[in-house]
Amino acid sequence: MSILTIAEAASQIAARKLSPVELAEAQLERIRRLDPAIDSFLLVTEERALADARAAEARQMAGTLRGKLDGIPIAHKDIYGTAGIRTTAHSKLLEHNVPTRDAHTVKKWADAGTVMLGKLATHEFAFGGPSFDLPWPPARNPWNREHFTAGSSSGTGAAIAAGLILGGTGSDTGGSIRGPAALCGIAGIKPTYGLSSRTGILPLAFTLDHAGPMAWTAEDCALLLQGMAGHDPEDPASVDRPVADFTAELGKGVKGLRIGVVRHFYETDHRASDATRAGIEGALDFFRREGAEVRDITLSPAADYHAVGYLLMVTEAYTLHAPWLRERFTDYGELFRDRVALAATVSGPDIVQAMRRRRVLCLEMTAAMENLDILVSASQAGEAPRIADVPKWANMEKPSFTMPFNVTGFPAISICTGYGEGGLPVAVQLAGKPFGEPTLFRAAHAYEAAMPWRKRRPSMCD
Amino acid sequence: MSTPEIDKDELGRILERSGHQLTPAQIEAILPGAAIFRRMVERVNAPLPREAEPALIFDVEQGR
Repeated sequence: MSILTIAEAASQIAARKLSPVELAEAQLERIRRLDPAIDSFLLVTEERALADARAAEARQMAGTLRGKLDGIPIAHKDIYGTAGIRTTAHSKLLEHNVPTRDAHTVKKWADAGTVMLGKLATHEFAFGGPSFDLPWPPARNPWNREHFTAGSSSGTGAAIAAGLILGGTGSDTGGSIRGPAALCGIAGIKPTYGLSSRTGILPLAFTLDHAGPMAWTAEDCALLLQGMAGHDPEDPASVDRPVADFTAELGKGVKGLRIGVVRHFYETDHRASDATRAGIEGALDFFRREGAEVRDITLSPAADYHAVGYLLMVTEAYTLHAPWLRERFTDYGELFRDRVALAATVSGPDIVQAMRRRRVLCLEMTAAMENLDILVSASQAGEAPRIADVPKWANMEKPSFTMPFNVTGFPAISICTGYGEGGLPVAVQLAGKPFGEPTLFRAAHAYEAAMPWRKRRPSMCD
Repeated sequence: MSTPEIDKDELGRILERSGHQLTPAQIEAILPGAAIFRRMVERVNAPLPREAEPALIFDVEQGR
């Protein structure tokens, strides 16, 4: 069976041309065959998957399918709580943790009929990685297993690129959906803050955490986000407003869209690789050619956004982990414990200053977007580095391209723009106005449909 | 605003004050990150315009 997108599989399931049970069995066989090389799964829930698939197939035969996610094989990042199924955060500290209830979003996807194949690798507690001192190895990049996936939704990125799942959950506190999406050559969206619930997901930093989907295409991300978004009174950040139709603008092209390019982020603040910059220019050429208005804009330096976001992220994480860090310091992996321990050096006034500066940056981005629909910048600086060569302090040394949109809460998607000199994927990041996801999907889908990148999979899939 | 580089002794004292009993090797392992982090803290503490006042979050007249 060839690797399908969610849109393709949904269409075939609806037409009774594809059996959800056969699809699940094919995916489980792929996991058995390919995952030992990339370690994307921490746990394969084969019995649950086949039970889910049989239920979906019964609905298919009865003509009672619940929608486009019914019968679709997915898996969850292992910080998403799953009732009765181990949820470890890839950490020794939660090695035997079995939640009693599903995360809000896990339940929503289950109610939509998805077929759960298992739990996916993450950086420890969605932050420290790649780590080699945890109970499980880090996920590896299917384009070259000697290379990094980025993180923290590392297993989700690897499993989708390798065709082991059609979609999966990620979380994004400073770029943990968009980073793996970029380096694994897939699509991943960090929705607007508050659009999707975090209830039942192990937190990293309350004011920066976002739950979102990852998939092979932007269209698939739209379908998955449709099944994930919505108000949850248990999450204090959850917004109570009607959920948009995320596929409504697909196929409308980009004509008339107003696109701002934050060129200084990836040309001077943190210079991206030649291939990454060429990929972005290619995307901008496409948008211009198709009738969008493209112009450069200037924001505060990426380092300003990064400093605010990073300081708040480690401090909020420390708030959660300080008791265990005091008593069980060496039960954490070195990367997580050493990065989060830095928060002990932060003063109260530092935190207040960070919050004040965050407000300034939010106002700045809101003003910049007043006459724009989309902001374009890099997603990652280049192709994936070798996994053994990732410096311990890599996520601090240079400013992140993704953190600005965690600081402000604006939605942002990463999509593939081709392949670099090493044969590994490169990407562009598109950001939108709050709750502007339909426009992001519109632009991302138009670009993907016009480019050849979605037709190529890692050679391990051959 | 100038923030001095942090040294191992200072980092050890701060961590101990926060309740962490770490070995010299463990403190040494954190030190390079602490120096980078100090520069981030320095950047966050640069002067801000008036609209950054957190008091604006609370609207006294509306009681919220």
